[in-house]
Amino acid sequence: MIELLSEVLVSALILVGAFFTLVGSLGLTRLRDFFARLHGPTKATTLGVGSLLLASLVFIALEGDGLRLHKVLIAIFLFLTAPVSAHLLAKAAICLKVGTGPAGEVPETFDATQSLEIPRDPVSTPPAT
Amino acid sequence: MTLLLVILIPLLGAMLPPLMMRWGRGASAGSAILVTLAALGAWGSMVPAALRGEGATFKLPWIPALGLNLSLTLDGLALLFSGLILGIGLLVVLYAKDYLYKSDPMGRFFAYLLLFMGAMLGVVLSANLLLTVVFWELTSITSFLLIGFWGHRADARRGARMALTITGLGGLCFLGGALLLGHLAGTFEIAELTSLRDSTLSHGWYVPALVLILLGAFTKSAQFPFQFWLPQAMAAPTPVSSYLHSATMVKAGVFLIARLHPALGGSEVWFYLVGGVGLATLLVGAFLANLAYDLKGLLAYSTVSHLGLIVALLGIGTQYAVVAAIFHILNHALFKASLFMSAGIVDHQAGTRDLRSLGGLWRLLPFTAPLALIAAAAMAGLPPLNGFLSKELFLEQTLELPFAAGPWWLVPALATLGALLSMGYAVRFGVNTFLGPQPKTFPKPPIEPPWGMRIPVALLVAGCVAIGLLPDLLGAPIVELAAAASSYLEVEGVHFALWHGFTPALLMSGIAIVGGVGLWYLQRWFVPVFDQSIPLPSGERLFRATIAGLVDLSRSAKRAFHPGKLQTAIAWMILSVVLLVGSALLVKLPRWTPSPADIDPSLLGGVALLLLAIGAALYFHRRRAVSLAILGAVGLLLSMGFVYLSAPDLALTQLSVEVSTIVLMLLALHLLPAQSVKERVGLHHLRDGVLALGAAVVVGTLTWLLLIDPPTSATSAYYLAQSKPGGGGTNVVNVILVDFRGFDTFGEVIVLGIAALGVYAMLFGMGLPTRWTRPETPDESAYPLMLGVVARVLLPLALVVGIYLFLRGHNEPGGGFVAGLVFSAAIILQYLASGIGWTQHKMNIPFHPLIALGIFVAGLTGVIAIAFGQPFLRSWFEYYHVPILGEIELASAMAFDLGVTLTVVGGLLMVLVNLSKLPRSTSVRPLTLAEEED
Repeated sequence: MIELLSEVLVSALILVGAFFTLVGSLGLTRLRDFFARLHGPTKATTLGVGSLLLASLVFIALEGDGLRLHKVLIAIFLFLTAPVSAHLLAKAAICLKVGTGPAGEVPETFDATQSLEIPRDPVSTPPAT
Repeated sequence: MTLLLVILIPLLGAMLPPLMMRWGRGASAGSAILVTLAALGAWGSMVPAALRGEGATFKLPWIPALGLNLSLTLDGLALLFSGLILGIGLLVVLYAKDYLYKSDPMGRFFAYLLLFMGAMLGVVLSANLLLTVVFWELTSITSFLLIGFWGHRADARRGARMALTITGLGGLCFLGGALLLGHLAGTFEIAELTSLRDSTLSHGWYVPALVLILLGAFTKSAQFPFQFWLPQAMAAPTPVSSYLHSATMVKAGVFLIARLHPALGGSEVWFYLVGGVGLATLLVGAFLANLAYDLKGLLAYSTVSHLGLIVALLGIGTQYAVVAAIFHILNHALFKASLFMSAGIVDHQAGTRDLRSLGGLWRLLPFTAPLALIAAAAMAGLPPLNGFLSKELFLEQTLELPFAAGPWWLVPALATLGALLSMGYAVRFGVNTFLGPQPKTFPKPPIEPPWGMRIPVALLVAGCVAIGLLPDLLGAPIVELAAAASSYLEVEGVHFALWHGFTPALLMSGIAIVGGVGLWYLQRWFVPVFDQSIPLPSGERLFRATIAGLVDLSRSAKRAFHPGKLQTAIAWMILSVVLLVGSALLVKLPRWTPSPADIDPSLLGGVALLLLAIGAALYFHRRRAVSLAILGAVGLLLSMGFVYLSAPDLALTQLSVEVSTIVLMLLALHLLPAQSVKERVGLHHLRDGVLALGAAVVVGTLTWLLLIDPPTSATSAYYLAQSKPGGGGTNVVNVILVDFRGFDTFGEVIVLGIAALGVYAMLFGMGLPTRWTRPETPDESAYPLMLGVVARVLLPLALVVGIYLFLRGHNEPGGGFVAGLVFSAAIILQYLASGIGWTQHKMNIPFHPLIALGIFVAGLTGVIAIAFGQPFLRSWFEYYHVPILGEIELASAMAFDLGVTLTVVGGLLMVLVNLSKLPRSTSVRPLTLAEEED
């Protein structure tokens, strides 16, 4: 009985994880413009990887090897870094004036007064090494 | 043991003067003097025993399989030469302290000088022929460094290159001759070679071995026809000339001839070859010295001539000839060193070395002039100085030759001619510089130099006079001992005296002296004649023409294989690999029996994905950013493959290396345009395709052979079985890396360090302007705050993960290399997040010391094993019980791993940070991801 329950639970979690990974990948390819496509991988990394990690945790715990929590570190690192990389990608896209659609209109979230220039670093004499 | 110390003290002590420079030039010179005194002390402690005839010996097997042993001996010949090297070395150090100009790097100079001193001592103390070759080459290299010391002068660089080429080629010939001699005699120990003389002389290989060894000796001692490099080497600072090119290094060739005379001498070939070359050199050198305008050039040719005299005497080979040769070695060293030093004083104080602008210096240099004149008189062979005694002996020996050499009067007449020419140039040197009319102005107003430059000259000249007046007391004992060691005949009862009665030798000396003075009178007529109208065959011009021809040949060969286009060079490389490996494979290819393979479907899926990715990379290959991303995907697929094949260490390493390499390539791509140019023509496509296909077939076959037939199963079983008991860890891969094959890893880590330094040198040498932001708060739009904060938070976490991987590497997947990569990734993130200027300002990691420290630590763990009597890099592990943590294991392999980590961090960071300092390409267009392929 317990075994059947554990198998069902773990399989469900794996399926959920796989489904969201698929959704994320589809979003990455099929959404209409860059800023929308940026949302795709977030689903894969949070719900997708999270569910798979949870499945692994549950599986090992129910096997009788105890609760090994260091897999959660993977999720923590992902939650730390994924938003930052998305932020950087968005900033880079804005700076490089990546068009949003076939007409090239500016995205709504972008403030027209903000400078779009790639900052030019002043070329000065290097400090003595 | 003391013998070994005498050589090691200068070699290791060479590190001191550059380090002591931070306390000033005086401290640096003082440390050089101390090192020389220490070596002198060690040497002196062995002198009494050596003088009694019981010289110390030392033997340590080094590579017994090759016959190379660290054998040292202090017999008479070695005693004489080592005394000269150390004594004159001390005086040269004193002289150099005051000679070197303020702008010269003194620490480096003394380091080179001490290195040379140690190498030269190695040559003379060695009792094994192969060991002599090793130290011989070392003297060539250190003398190259010393001659080219004033590297900003073109003539110094030319002279150093010429000296190194000629002495290096000679060293190669010496090695060949030594190998021949060792093989025909069965041993490389010089003492044993001596006792085997009779069988050596009658062997078929005797003449080739002799010729090769003599080539080495003649090139080193600037004998005819190789004499032209010595005057070119006069571009060195004068202390170098007086030490190397008069007293020690050029004497190495003569030393070799004397050392091997008991083993190879006494045959007709020896007599004609050695004697003939010596006599020819005597005449050629003395003649050219008469034509020289440069003071040091004159002395250089004079040195060549006197060395020819010594070589001729060794060629004659009778007992007294050998005695005369050894005596002249001693005397020549004394007066020539002092002459060079006084020439240096003239150059240093008056600013010129040209005889045409000098004269009458005895008024302005009242202390130096008489000393120089006495030394010149010794060089000419005037009584009652030491030069007279040895020249008399020489002339006497030419009257009794062991083999026929033309009419009885020919050789003595030539010898007298040589002595006559010597007198001529000695008078030229002394009179034209110090006596006679004074020119209107000198480049610098000459005054007496500091005492440090005058005392060595005085001491050496006093030696000349002392030996001249009391030769039996001062010279005879050591000469007798040295001659006994240089001859296969008995040498006893050596006596020198100033007056032997009216002998033919005295007559010849008289003719030479009078004729020489006459020659000096005639110089003002014939020297300009030679200068302007008679072109003498110049070995130097021939040498330069040969070298130029060789360089042209290499250039055209290089142009065929490497015309500056990367594609051609790579094509040649791949072609050679395909041909070489392919031909080997064809020989070894086993029969292929197709068997039903059980292939895992997921593996097939992975391979299909890989092929897809590579196909995509090919399709997009001209869009650089896209192909880089695809290559990253290929790397990830490889990591997954490793995980599938149950190799977690490799997967970890592949992942982290992938990240670092992608960052590296991105930085490099920054400098290139976004798209590569379409440049290949159809035929080239075909050629490239065929080459790529061939390489794929070869590599694929190789891999397949490796996988289907594991001949190393015995090895892998051994590693798996011995990993825990022998290496102390359960992670076999890591144990193999740091324990079983630790020496390989040591080498690879050193190569990594060298590669990083090479990248640094290349970037540094490119001279590109570096883009440098001022170290202030990073600008928000370029360096987003979010990234900066998260990077800061991640740094300690990543470092902890790295330490965790490092500590558990021995027993579980991890290890030093992966830990190093994790550390580097974390630190690179800081640079990415906040810019180079700001980060460098806050966190100044010294990359070069880090690499050096890593290699040092890794080497230290190996050396400590030796200290415990174990072979290099033998590891040790022990289990300890610690209260709270439980049982922990300490292994020396962890220290080795630490060295690996440090080097990896230092190397990787150095490459990445220095690449990122370069500016963006000025013609860059932003990469637009929405562009279509044309």
